[in-house]
Amino acid sequence: MNFGIIGLGNQGKLHLQNCLLRKELNVAAVADTSKHALEYATNRGVKRTYANYEDLLRDKNVDAVIINLPNYLHLESATKAAEAGKDILLEKPLASRLEDGEKIVSSVEKNDVKLMLGYSLRFESLFRELREKIVNGYFGEVEIAEATNISNGPFAGRADRIGPVPVPNWWFDKELVGGGALLDLGIHMVDLLAWYFGEVESVSSYLGYTFNMSAEDAATCIIKFKNGPLAVVNAGWFSIDHLISIGLNGTSRNFSAVFPPKKSRLRFIWNDFKSIVGRGASSSTAEELKYFVDCISRDVEPSPSAKEGLLDLRIISMAYEHASVLTQAKM
Amino acid sequence: MYFVSFVQAEDLSADGIRETIRKSISLIEFNSNKKVDKIVIKPNMCYYFHPSTGEVTDPRFVGALIDVLRMTFQSNPEISIVESDASAMKCHYVFKMLRYDALAREKDVRLVNLCEEKSKQVEMEIAGHSLKFNVPELLLDCDFLVNVPKIKYMHGVKVTCAMKNIFGCNAVQKKSVYHNTLNEAIVGLNKIMRTSLVVADGLVVNYKYTKRLNLVMASENVVAADAAASRLLGINPKSVKQLSLASRESLGELDFVPVGDFDYFKRNFPRKGMKENLFERGASAYLRLFHRS
Repeated sequence: MNFGIIGLGNQGKLHLQNCLLRKELNVAAVADTSKHALEYATNRGVKRTYANYEDLLRDKNVDAVIINLPNYLHLESATKAAEAGKDILLEKPLASRLEDGEKIVSSVEKNDVKLMLGYSLRFESLFRELREKIVNGYFGEVEIAEATNISNGPFAGRADRIGPVPVPNWWFDKELVGGGALLDLGIHMVDLLAWYFGEVESVSSYLGYTFNMSAEDAATCIIKFKNGPLAVVNAGWFSIDHLISIGLNGTSRNFSAVFPPKKSRLRFIWNDFKSIVGRGASSSTAEELKYFVDCISRDVEPSPSAKEGLLDLRIISMAYEHASVLTQAKM
Repeated sequence: MYFVSFVQAEDLSADGIRETIRKSISLIEFNSNKKVDKIVIKPNMCYYFHPSTGEVTDPRFVGALIDVLRMTFQSNPEISIVESDASAMKCHYVFKMLRYDALAREKDVRLVNLCEEKSKQVEMEIAGHSLKFNVPELLLDCDFLVNVPKIKYMHGVKVTCAMKNIFGCNAVQKKSVYHNTLNEAIVGLNKIMRTSLVVADGLVVNYKYTKRLNLVMASENVVAADAAASRLLGINPKSVKQLSLASRESLGELDFVPVGDFDYFKRNFPRKGMKENLFERGASAYLRLFHRS
């Protein structure tokens, strides 16, 4: 199977490394506007590089693409990829706006291609096992759920870098990003909860602006699932510490866990070392890729699908529409 | 030998911080008789961090300092708060995110991105390394440079306090070009842009963990201030390359006279142990080896 990778930022490079480790995959081409990024791919054996992703989409040798572009480019790139007949692995969120998400879904359906959203947490064993337990009634009826994803967001230092990383300008523009911490990090947790509990009945939220940016950097979103619990999603861009956690309170059992369980830097170094010596890292993004390839080979609809991504976007969009701003709240 | 004062703020109201800064400056017997027309304040705004993390200078601290400076120098000096774009940080965003833009409006001072100011190229040789800097004219023209650093640890230079803070006055965005000669560049820039007064914001410090220490540290000499910061971090100043180099270049001495409760802050500074230091050195060495970017 011949893959094309569009966008070689942090996430794009991670996908490239994962692709190169899979024997059944061939990275036929990559596209990025940065010469430095293209050199990175060439140095790793990628034969064809494009400065314009539309040229990559015209490449007949490419069967599927992984899109790692800024949110505001998701609509354009995903619809063009669908029109070119390529199957798509698109980094979350589906789009920066609900209307754009709807257009992507209809383009994917019209052109009969597969689109999977890059929600890597779905491929972590902890979250998969939890779903199985919920379905099997291990917790009884889950009445209250809580999911948190807090970090420095786009300002986070990367594990493979020493010191702070430059932040592209688009991250500071709410119009281009589509939202703040809730859309960027909260959507991972919204997706997990929607995967666990299904249809949503109502949504409300509170937004905070610690850093005085146009987009929120703190958010609490309360979701009532139609046939499920009352859930609270917390998301933040305000902390130099990174935390992902989940709590489930059921009629039979209560549960809470912090993810990842150990210090991420040590974990990163170990996984990274394994990938350097060619052993491959058992990361969630590697599992995600394996599953996507499998779906294409077996011609089945991948999940998280474009429609699931649209549902998540709808929840986030409702949360923004009905948000109260914390800084304005008065006792 | 220079005095370095260590004073604890009893409360963190504007009045409380102002009083602590005032006391800290008076303890070092700072002479305010000279006529000052142009003051430049250089806080640490290295990245988009919240002041409560201990990584950047708190704008409330700078606000209180401006009040103290206006009380000290009766000549109604023109005050500018300065920072410059860096490889990973842009002033345009950091001023707003850290709320320095609101502070500048409130205190009626200029807020300056040094990369957008006129600057002069200066070449100099430090320890056999030939270095080029873009020195802002604003810094060359000012009568009084107030250095408002944080007290931190950084791999490669060990102590980052007053001297490293001046590195941020070099009007070059891609500061990573100096990373192989960082110690020399820090010393060179401090030779060109002489700090008149160091007032370190130690309200919150971050080393092993983040701690509210409520410390205000002041000195008239950058080397003395950094040697004191080094002692707080539990590091012998003689082992800090930029400090020994600065001392050789006659910027100051590694010995200082502590005034105030130095021992209290030394005891209570959240220092790292050998285990944490070894792990971090190992991790950094690994990243440098396999991920040179």
